Amino acid sequence: MDEFTIGLVGTLALLLMVFAGVRVFIVAALVGMFGTIAIIGWKAGAGISGTVPHSKSINYALGVLPMFILIGFIAYHGGLTHALFRAARAWVGWVPGGLAVASVFATAGFAAVSGASTATAAVFSRVAIPHMLEHGYDRRLAAGVVAAGGTLASLIPPSAILVIYAIIVEESVGTLILAGFLPGIVSALIYALLIIGQCMWKPELGRAIPSPPMSERMASIPGTIPIFVVVAVIFYSMYSGTATPTEAGALGAFVVLVVALVKGMKWGALKEALLETAKLTVMIFALIWGVLIFVRFLGYAGLPQAFSEFVVALPFPPVVVMIFILLGYAVLGMFMDAIGMLLLTLPVVHPAVIALGYDPIWFGIIVVKMCEVCLITPPVGLNCYVVAAVRPDIPLGDVFRGIGPFFAADVVTIGLFLAFPEIVLWLPKLVNS
Amino acid sequence: PGSAQAQEVKGPEITWRMSLWGKRRAFTEAPEYVSKAVSDATGGNFNIKLYYGQQLSKSKENLDGISVGAFEMASFCAAYHPGKNKPLNVLDLPFLPLANLDIMRKVHDVIYKHPSSTKALAKWNAKIYMSMMLPQYEYMGKGKPPASVADFKGKRLRALGGMGAAAKKIGAKPTSMPASEVYTALQRGTVDAIGFPYTYTFAAYKLDEISDWYTTNMSLGTVNCPIVFNIDSYEALPAQYKKLLDDVQDGAYEAQKAAYAAKDKVNVAKWAADPKLTAVKIPENQMAEFRKQAGRPVWEEWVKKNEGRIPAQELLDLVLKTAKGG
Amino acid sequence: MADTDLSELSLGARLLAKVDAWVFKVESSFNLMSALVILGLMMLAVVQVVGRKIFNHPIEGYPDLVEFAMPVFAVLSIAYTQKLGGHIRMEFIIGRFSGRLLWFLEVLGTLIAMFTIAILCWYAYTHFLRAWNIGDSSINIDLPIWPGKILFVIAFISLQIRLWIQLAGFIRLFLYPNSKPIGVPIIETVDEQAQHEIDAGLAGEDEKVNIVGSGVSR
Ligand code: NA
Ligand code: NA
Repeated sequence: MDEFTIGLVGTLALLLMVFAGVRVFIVAALVGMFGTIAIIGWKAGAGISGTVPHSKSINYALGVLPMFILIGFIAYHGGLTHALFRAARAWVGWVPGGLAVASVFATAGFAAVSGASTATAAVFSRVAIPHMLEHGYDRRLAAGVVAAGGTLASLIPPSAILVIYAIIVEESVGTLILAGFLPGIVSALIYALLIIGQCMWKPELGRAIPSPPMSERMASIPGTIPIFVVVAVIFYSMYSGTATPTEAGALGAFVVLVVALVKGMKWGALKEALLETAKLTVMIFALIWGVLIFVRFLGYAGLPQAFSEFVVALPFPPVVVMIFILLGYAVLGMFMDAIGMLLLTLPVVHPAVIALGYDPIWFGIIVVKMCEVCLITPPVGLNCYVVAAVRPDIPLGDVFRGIGPFFAADVVTIGLFLAFPEIVLWLPKLVNS
Repeated sequence: PGSAQAQEVKGPEITWRMSLWGKRRAFTEAPEYVSKAVSDATGGNFNIKLYYGQQLSKSKENLDGISVGAFEMASFCAAYHPGKNKPLNVLDLPFLPLANLDIMRKVHDVIYKHPSSTKALAKWNAKIYMSMMLPQYEYMGKGKPPASVADFKGKRLRALGGMGAAAKKIGAKPTSMPASEVYTALQRGTVDAIGFPYTYTFAAYKLDEISDWYTTNMSLGTVNCPIVFNIDSYEALPAQYKKLLDDVQDGAYEAQKAAYAAKDKVNVAKWAADPKLTAVKIPENQMAEFRKQAGRPVWEEWVKKNEGRIPAQELLDLVLKTAKGG
Repeated sequence: MADTDLSELSLGARLLAKVDAWVFKVESSFNLMSALVILGLMMLAVVQVVGRKIFNHPIEGYPDLVEFAMPVFAVLSIAYTQKLGGHIRMEFIIGRFSGRLLWFLEVLGTLIAMFTIAILCWYAYTHFLRAWNIGDSSINIDLPIWPGKILFVIAFISLQIRLWIQLAGFIRLFLYPNSKPIGVPIIETVDEQAQHEIDAGLAGEDEKVNIVGSGVSR
């Protein structure tokens, strides 16, 4: 067998074992190791694979991961979710579908301290849905907006998934984090416009609620200040060069921790958050080095170059190829976990996308948006299950039906990013000039 | 394959892989030259494939990759991991009198051939082929241009290895970071100035686009980055291929020098014409003082720290003697 | 998983449950160590930024220190996470099987994992040995690298032990498909995954939602 054939066989073996339910990091490491062995022999192949877990994990830039994860786990203890929803409701409740719009902004705000999309959906099912139902909102809309709003956590920093993308494709972690802000906000605005449009057309879906007096509106702000502090700390410290991403993440975690402690977080809860952080961190690291063993094998086999040459030679314009790639992600995303999907596909897809002339930062935001979409698509759109589960009165079918328009909104958003890459690239360019 | 080509050196088909990091640049013109020259001479039978971008191994683990035989050829910089290659670190000391690349080549060569170096590398199953030379380091930075050595006091500098120790002697705050991070760090003020090989690296990392000044006469020192072979692979080569590798070495050094010279010509002209960029010449008497403070004392600290484990004093003396033309 | 009443079980199953519990204690202490290092890293970064920005006095070799500590949270909890079924896999297909077929696939999957980790563990050990015998150190402040490398070996050994326990557990279930699972992570249904996320999301709330086993799933 020549190297290229070995590469193809290895890739097929990988897919087979992944679908058979073997843990992804094991499959990637096994296939990567034996693929390399097939090309350069046992001692060299196994030897070089054995260096990967340590050498690829121990990378200063990856230190940001546990910090971002920790921010998310602690943030639930600061009373921020209720405060955010109260403020959003006080300020934007007056528009058609006001409470649903407020839910979008509250989830977007919470996304600035959490990278966990499903957990965000869980907590806002608790915080926002009761108010919407109380005011006679359509329950499908209420469920849909929370499931969709939860996804924003992956795009708006802090977000582990943006960091993972940066590490795998060797782009600047800081640039990707900055790049996520604006597209996250654009996504939220499109959700809001969608709701307003829907509710103007069919007012019975959700009515405006009267604005409270100015004093009450002002009084809703202080509770949300910690969020602004975290955003300011992460954004400003990286923008101004005060801190590296790892340091910025740590500062953010520190701020959230102080807030949570002031709000009465106990050592037991902090310990729980730390233990969960450690568990999630090791899971991500194992995936990273497992996949990087596989990537090394692909390098020996020359598969990424071959695939990008193939893609570039296709007789279609790049945008058509890009749409096919995105459709591929949409299908994969229906069955796979977002991080696993990214890690397994990027080594081959990313060089091809770059060869087509697309910007790597831009593509990172696009695929993370695709990962968000896969959280709301059947059959295993986890965000929808979470909402249905927290709200036993809303059947899963209703959640999936309620999410429909938001799925359409996401398609529009991705189309916008395709047509106007500047939405994604403006902020990183501004910072880097 | 390639039988139609002129085949000056006959021999079997052999393919080698070489592990490199980053993209193709002036620094990598030496291996590019070697790869092309051996392929041309053997009609494509001896083929050295260059793998850029740490595809085969992280740059810090290239010696481990050589050791297990994952690739036959690699390059690394001794400063990345002082513990892996103690004898070579003598070449990274600041202010060594390496006036030009020809002298640098001689000095690197004599240290690479010293038994303590070959023994240290043999532990990694590695044999040094040649040096991928880097020109002398200078600083490029933002803010008010320094007029004297004293102006570096309190400044945050990106300085590797021995140059960091030298920076400390004049009250600066050295920090090291991968080359890939220096642009952002300088632009956002995480550091005040970057120490890099003059001129090509400043331009390669686009630092000239965001800087206010650069020094031209500090000659801070350099770091050494040898190309190594896996010993078993090298021993398995037919004699005529070994000889061919020796024969193409001069050409490789010349190609590297030419690549730097071409970049220097472009950069020096471009920077001189740039009104935003001030060329700084530190007064020679101050540089002499700086060298006195941060040259020999840093060398001696290094000798003291390493003597016993390696013949540190002997290596240092050898460097100085060779540099003088001895 | 509810506490297993050991008295109902056979001798072998009781032994397995005991070993499982004892090993999990060790794994949990590894995870706690990793959690504390994460907390320490956060504090160190705060000190670093404040020191650098306010006192122009950064911690010398800070990136080296971070990388020196990283192996703890990068790998030490790997067996703990395996025990809790925390490593990602695609459950879409395997989750539809049950009984002997499911346990057979799980035995196979565990064997594949043991095989992979055994080889990786050995070559991670030789990677450590090179750093130990020949030398390796960090770029700024010459910190030794071998402690980090040996930590990977230790973590892989602990994962291998965990996989042995799982193998025993799955073989037992294959032989006696109706007995109570011991020492194995159980496939989470989408509802159970949702429960996990809910637990995380509602961590700060007084009142919890419990969906698994409540018949909410449809
Ligand atoms: Na987020
Ligand atoms: Na999905």
